[in-house]
Amino acid sequence: MARTTLEHITKVFTDDNANDIVAVDDVSIEIEDGEFLVLVGPSGCGKSTTLRMVAGLETITDGRIRLDDRVINDLPAQDRDIAMVFQSYALYPHMTVRGNMAFGLEESTDLPDEEIDALVTETAEMLGIEGMLDRTPDELSGGQQQRVALGRAIVRDPDVFLMDEPLSNLDAKLRSQMRMELQRLQEGLDTTTIYVTHDQTEAMTMGDRIAVLNDGKLQQVGTPLECYHRPANLFVAGFIGEPSMNMITGTIDGDAFVSDEFTYPISADLAAELEGVFDVTLGIRPEDLELSTEEPEDSRALSMIVDVVEPMGDENVVYLRFDSGDVGIDDDQLVLIATIDGISDIAGIDRVSVRIPEEALHVFSTETGNAIRNRRLEGDVERVV
Amino acid sequence: MRSRARHARSDDGGCDGRADRPASLADAAENSPDASALRSDGGVAGETAITDDYERTRLQRWRDSDFVQSVPFWLPPFLLMGFFVYAAIGWNFLISLTEYSGFGDIDYSTIGLHNYVELVADAGFWAATRNTLVLLVAFTLACLVLGLSLAILLDRKIRFERTFRTIYLLPFALSFIVTAQFWMWMYNFDFGIINGLFGLVGLGPYSWLGSPRLVLGSVIFALMWQFSGYTMVVYLAALRAIPGDQYEAARVDGANTLKLYWRVIIPQLKPATVSASVVLVLFALKAFDFLYAIWGFRPRRGADILATKMVREAFQRQEWAYGASIAIVLFILSLAIIAPYLYQQYTQGNL
Repeated sequence: MARTTLEHITKVFTDDNANDIVAVDDVSIEIEDGEFLVLVGPSGCGKSTTLRMVAGLETITDGRIRLDDRVINDLPAQDRDIAMVFQSYALYPHMTVRGNMAFGLEESTDLPDEEIDALVTETAEMLGIEGMLDRTPDELSGGQQQRVALGRAIVRDPDVFLMDEPLSNLDAKLRSQMRMELQRLQEGLDTTTIYVTHDQTEAMTMGDRIAVLNDGKLQQVGTPLECYHRPANLFVAGFIGEPSMNMITGTIDGDAFVSDEFTYPISADLAAELEGVFDVTLGIRPEDLELSTEEPEDSRALSMIVDVVEPMGDENVVYLRFDSGDVGIDDDQLVLIATIDGISDIAGIDRVSVRIPEEALHVFSTETGNAIRNRRLEGDVERVV
Repeated sequence: MRSRARHARSDDGGCDGRADRPASLADAAENSPDASALRSDGGVAGETAITDDYERTRLQRWRDSDFVQSVPFWLPPFLLMGFFVYAAIGWNFLISLTEYSGFGDIDYSTIGLHNYVELVADAGFWAATRNTLVLLVAFTLACLVLGLSLAILLDRKIRFERTFRTIYLLPFALSFIVTAQFWMWMYNFDFGIINGLFGLVGLGPYSWLGSPRLVLGSVIFALMWQFSGYTMVVYLAALRAIPGDQYEAARVDGANTLKLYWRVIIPQLKPATVSASVVLVLFALKAFDFLYAIWGFRPRRGADILATKMVREAFQRQEWAYGASIAIVLFILSLAIIAPYLYQQYTQGNL
């Protein structure tokens, strides 16, 4: 177990035409001992490359990676005392489950065979695969292979677990079950874990903290709720949360926000906060939009048309658009997404008033994408967590 | 098991194909006892009509069976193979039981195993068998080890990889007569480059193709040079099929390069090893042309294998029956090696 520190790490690949491609750009993260950190981002954002640099499978172009106080930049992968779970599991097909799990201990430690065998059996029992120890991987189901891959990492009792999208090959039901089990295991083992995923649900539910990456650059590191309620910029705001945050671009004109579709009056407090900025993007979470069938009673409510309703059971996802005459699909047209209670019957209603509460508004600078103001919550986010 | 399942599936496919035709559909209905019972109950046709109908359908059924339908496809090659290969082997066995030698007709009246008895007593036969086995084992192992090493080195994403691959594979494309000729020159006692190189470090000269102790080794080395390119290509293909994360997983698990290959990669090359071995072993058994190109009918003592002895006995000394019996021994040896392989392939469903 160890504190893992990434200091300004950078990875530059050179392609066949001698062009430099910056995969990871100056990323610094400190991962506490026993912490579960999720690296999340869209594909190609450099999250896997970052993980592979920690594993020693990629060289580090610039920066330092430390485990506690030792710098491991130049340490080969086999000497780093880390264990990795691969997306494809990478089980050794010619070995039994027992062989697969024992391999790491045999190669990285001097433990006697009986002790290794006892550790393997113990770990297998913990994962519920003790009955499969003498089978080969091709005789196991996807979920069982996944457990073996986990077991192979756990049995090593390493300083750090690295997991590269370990659940992405499982079906949805099994994935949510394994998500829960993985969290339980990690809490019990208390081993520092770096977990890479593109799935924001996994990021939100599993991590102690989330590190959001985009284009090789670190966007934000924080607890899941911090990232959700206090996104540092437009990218994090749009990436975290399902359905995504509504974004409305426009300008600040005195005490009002003006967009192509509507004018939204802002309070004096907010206007003071936005002093000096002109081009802004308003962000509002779908669950914060207030829908009602009554006529708009104040100027913070907009009259909109219900376009599509997706009933999810627990909630309805409502796609709203402004009355612009033509019904055709138009990418430029502003569409707001609202989530409302699943019980409420919205079928047959085609015009609603949509109220945007000011306390739930996020304001971003359109130019830099950085957050200027995040939503107000009763009590601080930290206390909510 | 798997292969049987596949057969069943292909049979189904055949049926589907035929089902398009109304005739076989009607057959299907009439073949079932229920259908015929129904018909007699209904009294639509008389007793004799039913029998006629039944006769006709049986003929038609026979004509429509997979066996008859497929005859045009497998019978010609079956007859050709049967006559020119299997009948020839049978005839060869028959000759080996006679005393046929020199010119004249074969006398089939004195049939017996005397040639085989003679073989057992022939010291030359045992020497040739021993040489054959030594050549077979040493040549196969050397080719596998060298081919594997080259493949592993080439698989490490090196520069000019394709060029190296072609260079290593090229000898395999050459005729044995050609390679035998230039190895003969290289091994030449007086002017050969091999003795020249040994001379540089103060060794030799050695009589590579003359000394009974060296000759088999020299031949094996030359053959290895020609064939290791082939094993390299087989191994390279197998290595390419192993996903990169196997290497990465083993590294992260703490294995050094040696252990990584020995415990994770090489075991996964087993199917490639088996198929390359079969080809090499079968070649080693028949490495006749190479030896014949160097020495003609009479190889040096120490380099005489069953194949050369067979040809010598038959075509130089006209001991046809004796040569035929050596051929049978060689045939049984080949069969003993290839049969387990074929059986394994069959059980795995690859045949």
